[in-house]
Amino acid sequence: MLDPAVRVRNLVKRYADGTEASRGIDLDVRRGEILAIVGANGAGKTTFLRQLTTELRPTSGAITIFGIDAVSAPGRAKRLMGVSPQEAGLFETLGVRRHLELFARLKGLPRRAAGAAARELVIALGLATEAERRISGLSGGQRRRILIGLALLGRPPLLVLDEPTTGLDPAGRRLVWGLLKRARGEGASIIFSTHYMEEAEGLGDRVGVISAGRLTALGTVAELTARLSSASGSLEDVYFELAGGCFIDLEPAAK
Amino acid sequence: MIRRRLDDIACVFLIHLARLRAEAGPFVLAAFVFPLGMYFFAGAVAGSSSPPAEASANHLRFLAGSIVFSMSLTAISWLGYLLLENRFTGRLKLFSTLPLAPSSYVLGILLFSLSHATLGTAALLLIARASGVAVPLHSAAGFGLLAVTIVLTMLCVSGVAVIIAARARSFTEGSLLTDALGAGLVLLAPVYYGPDVLPRALQLISRLLPTTYAARSVQATLSGRLGVGQDLLILSLMAAASLSAGFRLMKWRED
Repeated sequence: MLDPAVRVRNLVKRYADGTEASRGIDLDVRRGEILAIVGANGAGKTTFLRQLTTELRPTSGAITIFGIDAVSAPGRAKRLMGVSPQEAGLFETLGVRRHLELFARLKGLPRRAAGAAARELVIALGLATEAERRISGLSGGQRRRILIGLALLGRPPLLVLDEPTTGLDPAGRRLVWGLLKRARGEGASIIFSTHYMEEAEGLGDRVGVISAGRLTALGTVAELTARLSSASGSLEDVYFELAGGCFIDLEPAAK
Repeated sequence: MIRRRLDDIACVFLIHLARLRAEAGPFVLAAFVFPLGMYFFAGAVAGSSSPPAEASANHLRFLAGSIVFSMSLTAISWLGYLLLENRFTGRLKLFSTLPLAPSSYVLGILLFSLSHATLGTAALLLIARASGVAVPLHSAAGFGLLAVTIVLTMLCVSGVAVIIAARARSFTEGSLLTDALGAGLVLLAPVYYGPDVLPRALQLISRLLPTTYAARSVQATLSGRLGVGQDLLILSLMAAASLSAGFRLMKWRED
């Protein structure tokens, strides 16, 4: 049986000041699946994703990416990932196409393939008319789209995106959703965090709720809403009910 | 593998080169304008009453001092500022989430820094010659030794910039340190004057500064003397120390 795209076991992150930002998270992301992570500000979503992307060393626990131990071999794991951090800056003096091209080369694409990937992505990101424009001249939403584009370069089998649509207008969000659906259609597995419930519901095959460093719920939207005490049954209700609640173990097999 | 590594280094270099091309003003100030100002200032302080041989030696000393000043300002103040910006504006995350070795990032930065030094030194030499300063640097060996001195000095001071950028707790702290060290390493060392005029305490301190040996070696090679082996050896040891500290501190993963 193939390894899942991501396997996380008993993940703990304790900072030097004693704060526990991840408290024993267990999670599998299946191949070709889109998993949405929701949770309040400061719940531990970014800390969790930063450990997946190898930016942050876990205090204990295991993370494997397509069977590769991401804790002991971060370089190998990163070759399989496209990452869009929540807060990252772009190189303002580079043109849009050039920025994408140079980062495609840093992802290991040969020069010609990097050029072709950059040209293709500029169009896919809706930035064809801005292709030669410097990043410094772009709007916040256009910059956010480029960050998504950097993650998509080289068609990595796993995308890890921290609040990818924050700051985008509705058209920009739809464009990003389309890109992510297309990436999944090409076989990519995706894990992303969001504060937009409709985004988690519309894009995620499953949704995980993180609260105070714990994964308090995990399942499809239908599975999560079916467990609600109230009958209204929206994902937002699940979110509010579980923000400080206990874990609804919908998928014990996945654990 | 080696080809991939070289391509990574070239990409990091090209990304930063775009900054140099787009924002040449600060670079021109650090590489030419301030050092040239110091050259003329030192000449004015020395006066014009010296015998011709002494005046000529003074001009070479001031030229050597200005070349070292240019290297220190471009490598520590300007480059250090760029590295701090990369770190504190989130640009470094774009690199740290890629399968890019931290050492490739540092080597790309060093290549960028060497290109500054080449431009700065060449411009100062040309301006000095155009102003009528006799520079008895004619032999290939002399040019070779000057080049080695510049490379070793830049490795030393760029290593200091990398250390500051990696360790600073805030952008403000880092930029204050780079500003202070960029000028301080020159002002505390016998760069524009002989070591004998320094107070005893400063003489001891100056023995620990790379700028002391850089100035001595640049001045010797500009004067046509080739006996700079000891200075180059000390610069090599200092470069090895500052770079190994820089490589060790430049990590992608936080604990």
